[in-house]
Amino acid sequence: MQSETAAKRKTRGFAYFQKGFRTHRFAYALIVPTLLFMLLVHFLPMAQGIIMSTLKLNQFTLARYLHAPFIGLDNYKSLLFDGSNPVRQGMGFAVRNTVIYTIVVTFLVLAWGLAVAMLMNRPFPGRGIARTAMLLPWVVPSYVVGVLWGFMWQQDGIINYLLVDVLHLMGEKPFWLIGHNTIWAIIIPTIWRGWPFLMIVFLAALQTIPEDIYEAARIDGAHKLRQFVHITLPLLKPVFAVQLLFQFINNVYSYNIVSTMFGNGAGYPGEWGDLLMTALTRQSFGYWAFGSGSAASFLLMVVMLVFVGIWYRMFRSELNAQ
Amino acid sequence: MTRRTSAKLASLSLTTLTWIIVIVTVFPIFWMVFASLHTNSEIMKGITSFSLPSPQWSNYRNMWDMINFAVYFRNSLVICGLTTVFAGAFAVMAGYALARFRFAGSRTISMSIISTQMIPGIMFLFPIYLMFLWIKQALGIPMIDTYWGMILVYTAFYTPISIWIMRSFFVSIPSDLEESAVIDGCTKFQAFYKIILPLSVPGMIATGIYIFLTAWDELLFAWVLTTSSDVQTIPVGIRLFVGQYNTRYDLLMAASTVVTLPVMAVFFLTQRYFISGMTAGAVKG
Repeated sequence: MQSETAAKRKTRGFAYFQKGFRTHRFAYALIVPTLLFMLLVHFLPMAQGIIMSTLKLNQFTLARYLHAPFIGLDNYKSLLFDGSNPVRQGMGFAVRNTVIYTIVVTFLVLAWGLAVAMLMNRPFPGRGIARTAMLLPWVVPSYVVGVLWGFMWQQDGIINYLLVDVLHLMGEKPFWLIGHNTIWAIIIPTIWRGWPFLMIVFLAALQTIPEDIYEAARIDGAHKLRQFVHITLPLLKPVFAVQLLFQFINNVYSYNIVSTMFGNGAGYPGEWGDLLMTALTRQSFGYWAFGSGSAASFLLMVVMLVFVGIWYRMFRSELNAQ
Repeated sequence: MTRRTSAKLASLSLTTLTWIIVIVTVFPIFWMVFASLHTNSEIMKGITSFSLPSPQWSNYRNMWDMINFAVYFRNSLVICGLTTVFAGAFAVMAGYALARFRFAGSRTISMSIISTQMIPGIMFLFPIYLMFLWIKQALGIPMIDTYWGMILVYTAFYTPISIWIMRSFFVSIPSDLEESAVIDGCTKFQAFYKIILPLSVPGMIATGIYIFLTAWDELLFAWVLTTSSDVQTIPVGIRLFVGQYNTRYDLLMAASTVVTLPVMAVFFLTQRYFISGMTAGAVKG
C-alpha cells in the first residue's frame, strides 16, 4: 500500500518533470551548456580546493597531487594555532590592514559617489563633459593605478610637493610608502578608482526618482535635508544594498593595486601595506604551502558567507521588493 | 530679487565645486602622461613646473624596445578577445533562459550563479594551478603557459557576472514581443533568434566590453599561470617591468600611458552603450 503510493508519487513526479521538460525544452537547451561548463570550472576546482585543504601538500608531495598524505584538519589547526606555519607569517598584519582598508574604502566610495551624484543631478553647462571626465579613473587599469600612485607617493613626488610646497599643509615631506602611512597610500588610490562607478550608478538611480515627489514635499514644507533623508535615501536603498555588497567583496579580495605599487615584482608591501590576497599568495607560493593555503582560502570563504548572510538579513525587504 | 541672486550664487558655487572635483579627479591621469614626457633626471629632481620645453617622445620608443610590448599586447588581445566571445555566448543563452522561463531549478540556478561572485579567486587559484600541472603530467596536454588555459580560466570567471548583466537586459525587453511572434507561427527559437537577439545588441555590446575590460585588468591568475612572454598578458608585463626598472619612472609612466590608451579609446567609442548597460544592470540588480 505504502509502496504503491510512493510509486504513484514517483510516476506523477516523473510525469510532472516530463511535462515541465517538454514545455521548457528550449530553456533547458539554452541553460544546459552553461550549467555543465560552470560545474566543470567552478564546482570541480572548489571541491578540489576543499580536498587539498586536508592534504599535506608541500614541495615534496606536490607531484602526488591528490594522492598526497591525508592529514584531516591538521592544516586548519596549524593555521589557527601554530605560529611556525609559513602561511601565518605576517597574516595578522594582513588581516588588520584588510579590515581597515575594506571598511574605509567601502564607506568612502559609497558616500563620496552619492555626494557627487547629487552634485551632478542638476543642470549646469558642460555637465556631459564633467561626467565623462569623472569616469576616467575607473577606466585606468588597476595595475596602472598601483604604478602611477606609487610614483606620485614618492618622497619628492608630486603629492608631497602639492601638500608641502604649494598648500603648506605639512611641515616636512612624509614618507608614504614606508611605515604606517602605507595604509593611506593604498586606500586613497582605491577610492580614486572606485568612486566614479558609484557616482554613475547613483546618478542613474537618482534620475529614476520622479520630480513630483520632491514637488509634493516642498509644498508640505520639507526642506532639502528632510527631502534627502525621507525621500532620496529610502528610494536609493535597494541600489545601495547591491553596491555595498559588491564593494565589500571587491575590497576584501583586492590584489592588483598593492601588488604593483610596491615594486620589485613579488616585493613585501610592509606591515601597513600588506593585504589578505597579497599575503596569502606570497606565502603559499613562496613556501609551496598549498595545503595551508587552501585551508586559509576555505576559511576566508566561510567568513565571507557569514557576512553575505548578515547583509542579506539586513536588506532582505529591500531586495525582495524589487 | 535678492533671493534670485542668492540662488544663482549658490548654483554657481556648486558648479565651481563640481569642476574642482573634476580637476582633482583627472589630475593623476594628466600627471602620468606629463611625467612620461620628461627625462629620468628631471623626474629624479622632482617636477615642479607645469611647462614642458622639450617633450621626451623617445621614452615611448625606448620603453617599446626594452620590453616586448607588442607581444604582451597581442597576448592580451587574443586572451581577452576570445574570453569575451565565449563568456558572452554563455551569457546570452543562459541570461535569456533565466530572464524568460520559470523552469524547475531556475531560481536555484540564478542564486548559485550570483553566489559564485563571493568565492575568493584564491579558492580557485591553488586547485587550478595544481590541476594544470597534473593535466600536463598525466595527459601530456600543456595548460600552464597556453592561451587556452588562460581563456578557460577567464571564461569561467566572467561567465556568471555576464549572465547576470545579460539577464537584466532581457528582462527589460517586453515579453509581448515573443508572445505575439509565437502566435504568428514562430517557434520559441525563432522568436529568440529573429526578434530578441537583434534588440539586445546594445546589451551584448555592454556585456562584451565589461568582460573585455575586466579580463584586461586581471593580474593574479595571469601572474601564476603564465611564465613565458609568449603568453604573458599586459598586467604581467607591467609588473615585471616595475620589478626590473623600478627607478626608471620615465619609462614606467610611458608604459602606463600606452596600456591605458586602448582602454580609454574603447570606453569613449562605446560610452553610450556601456554606461547605460552598466547602470541598468547595477540599478535593477
